Amino acid sequence: MRKNFIILLIIIAGIFLAIVYYYGNLYLTSEFYSMNTIIDAKIWGFNRYSTLIEIEKEINKLNMLFDDFNPQSDISKINSNAGVKSVSVSDETIDILLKSKEMYRKTKGTFNIAIAPVLKLWGFKDGHYRVPGEEEIKSVLSLVNLDDLIISKNTVFLKKKGERIDLGGIAKGYALDRVKGICEKNKVKKAIINMGGNVFVYSRNPDEVFRVGIRHPRSSSIIAVIKVKSGTFISTSGDYERYFEYNGKRYCHIIDPSTGYPADKLLSATCITDTGYVGDALSTALFVLGKEEALDLTQSLKYATVVVTPNLNVFYTDNLRGVITIENR
Amino acid sequence: MKTGDRIILILILVSLLLGIAINRYAGKTNEKYVEILVDGKLYEKIPLYPELRKTPFMVKSSEGYLYVEISEGKVRVIDSTCTDKLCVKEGWISHIGESIVCLPNRISITIVGGDTYVDSVSY
Repeated sequence: MRKNFIILLIIIAGIFLAIVYYYGNLYLTSEFYSMNTIIDAKIWGFNRYSTLIEIEKEINKLNMLFDDFNPQSDISKINSNAGVKSVSVSDETIDILLKSKEMYRKTKGTFNIAIAPVLKLWGFKDGHYRVPGEEEIKSVLSLVNLDDLIISKNTVFLKKKGERIDLGGIAKGYALDRVKGICEKNKVKKAIINMGGNVFVYSRNPDEVFRVGIRHPRSSSIIAVIKVKSGTFISTSGDYERYFEYNGKRYCHIIDPSTGYPADKLLSATCITDTGYVGDALSTALFVLGKEEALDLTQSLKYATVVVTPNLNVFYTDNLRGVITIENR
Repeated sequence: MKTGDRIILILILVSLLLGIAINRYAGKTNEKYVEILVDGKLYEKIPLYPELRKTPFMVKSSEGYLYVEISEGKVRVIDSTCTDKLCVKEGWISHIGESIVCLPNRISITIVGGDTYVDSVSY
């Protein structure tokens, strides 16, 4: 009788474990639009639905603050009051602006959120692309000065009229940092979030290996695959995302702040970091810098990078040896 | 323990292990699918095999529409109502993990498979 009871217990425990195992391994995928891009979320674990809702809410909240197309956003308020008065903004906006300044310093000015007037001149803001004249670029470049962005406590002021800021090169990475916080707080089993090409991977198991592909800049296939662990951010800046062609030359949306012309030293630059905003901003800067300087800067900051040069050669920092495979497709 | 009990126990253990194994390896085949999402929701999932030829068909979203062609295991967008036409310039895609995204129309076309080649793609 007692034996039977034990066997019954084992059976019940087994069935229970199987059910737990089954439901714990289910995952959910969802695509939604925010921050002017497509966000692809894949979440594993029991609390996947509540986590997804939390992530969506957080990203939408940040989008309301950072979107310069929305006249009610903090960034629009700062831009429209340039040269007029300082405006009080939310803590998140102050935080991201300070981080943008930090990345400006770390990248020797190649990542600059004050580049917006030049972006507008080339038509990357409204889609009416054109190649401006040299004089025009020069005069607009005088409006690009991040030191004119004055932050004090919770107010922000742009000194000159016509100056504008644009968080397009850092907002996605910054939002992914928030996503990381939510994943850690909720202790989800596993999550892969792809925010318009900026990827964040997370797993409760620190040994889990994720395979993340880097897009081929001239076809829609993959040029390299890197193996990364939980908590890693992978972000890429490339000349294929937004561009136009004029007289056979390609003009992409990443502008070199020192010249006012689209950067053309690389086809793409990928950053592998442990912080979202750093990766997002750094990949933009590396794309502007070109191969040698990009590799040097990443190495000095102790991150990893993969760059694709105009003749489609792939270069990467030494710390990626063994975890990267180059695909020849 | 009676023989009957043992048999039941072994049966349950085997089915448990089998369940875990099936769960783990389920879907890990070489099959490919074309997954079309409109406004973030699954619109159509078409198995992609080399012999399949589909006459161009229309995919419509709240923002506009585009025409998709599937031929010889490849997929492309032929024409779209968007202004930048980046989805058309993308050309053919055929490998798992590749995708064409038409942001203005909020339509994405991805090639997925059981034997996923990469977890995600940075672009």
